[in-house]
Amino acid sequence: MKKWKAALTLGIVCLILAIAISIQLKTIDDTNSTVSQTLTGNELRDQILKWKEKYDNSTTTLEQTERNLEETRLRSTLNDESAIAKEEEIKLDNTLLGLTDVIGNGIVISLKDNNTVKRANISPSDNIELYLVHAGDLVEVVNALRNAGAEAISINGQRITNFSAIYCAGNVVVVNGEKISSPVEIKAIGSPELLYGSLTIPGGYLELMSETGVMVEVKKVENIVINKYDGIISSQYMKSE
Amino acid sequence: MILVAIILGCVVGIVVGNFAPIIPYTYSGYLAIAIVAALDSVFGGVASSLNKKFDMGVFLSGFFGNAILAILLTYLGQRLNVDIYLAAILVFVTRMFNNLGMIRRYYLEKFRERGRKRNSVSRNNTK
Repeated sequence: MKKWKAALTLGIVCLILAIAISIQLKTIDDTNSTVSQTLTGNELRDQILKWKEKYDNSTTTLEQTERNLEETRLRSTLNDESAIAKEEEIKLDNTLLGLTDVIGNGIVISLKDNNTVKRANISPSDNIELYLVHAGDLVEVVNALRNAGAEAISINGQRITNFSAIYCAGNVVVVNGEKISSPVEIKAIGSPELLYGSLTIPGGYLELMSETGVMVEVKKVENIVINKYDGIISSQYMKSE
Repeated sequence: MILVAIILGCVVGIVVGNFAPIIPYTYSGYLAIAIVAALDSVFGGVASSLNKKFDMGVFLSGFFGNAILAILLTYLGQRLNVDIYLAAILVFVTRMFNNLGMIRRYYLEKFRERGRKRNSVSRNNTK
């Protein structure tokens, strides 16, 4: 009888233990961390993982809070005529600032580094840099799009806002502080005909790029979804007069 | 009997654990130390049951108490910036080796005894 009980207890305890071990294994697998040989390396990795987790948690909280704010705003303006007008105005302003997801017709431009070119099959006098997509190219394309009346532009999912910068950072391009690289997909919402026509104009920048060897593709697309800018826009020095 | 219970528990535990959700990385350090403490208790329980000294109360309180104490010590160590969990691991692993040694000696003895008996039986037959 006593042995029975002991066996049962040991069995249950082993069950708990096995569950704990497999959960732990799964967690470690999920973070795909390997134990490095040095203690400092381990500690640094540990800290990175913890910060990453905190960052993820904060992002979720931020999203939740934004949703709550939106709901509260909606509820408080439900019965007030002037508040409804203000709410509409805020919505419009946010859309113009690039703080909301937008949808509309427009064009999608894809720029790709020419991957058929190797040092072996071009002449030594050829400049291999001409076959790559650079930050300057993106600036030119964005300028051309703005000039043709594009209302919303994104580069590889990074929304171009009033505060966006596009600059070169070695072998990647940084847009809104996020790294992007070839293949680059530029989405623009606006009049499709106008955008397409002015971007593919003979002698235009895209023609120049495709002539020098970058793989360029422009197509009109209906109902393009352009994501919002997910950073924070804040001002410190400017005040309205 | 005890062996069957242990194996059954482990198999069911692995299956259940595979479907369980993962925990945040921050807490996985605590779970790890709790696992080591619990493993120590299990080996202790097996060793004492082989010696016919198994006490349910001691075993269960040791299993949960050690795990919780180890977690608390790890937390305290993090607060004080001292790696207390290293000391906990040292103690638990030392005890684990002791208990494993006890279990090994018990089965070795049993094995030898059986061999001796067989030898004496075969000698009697040849006489």
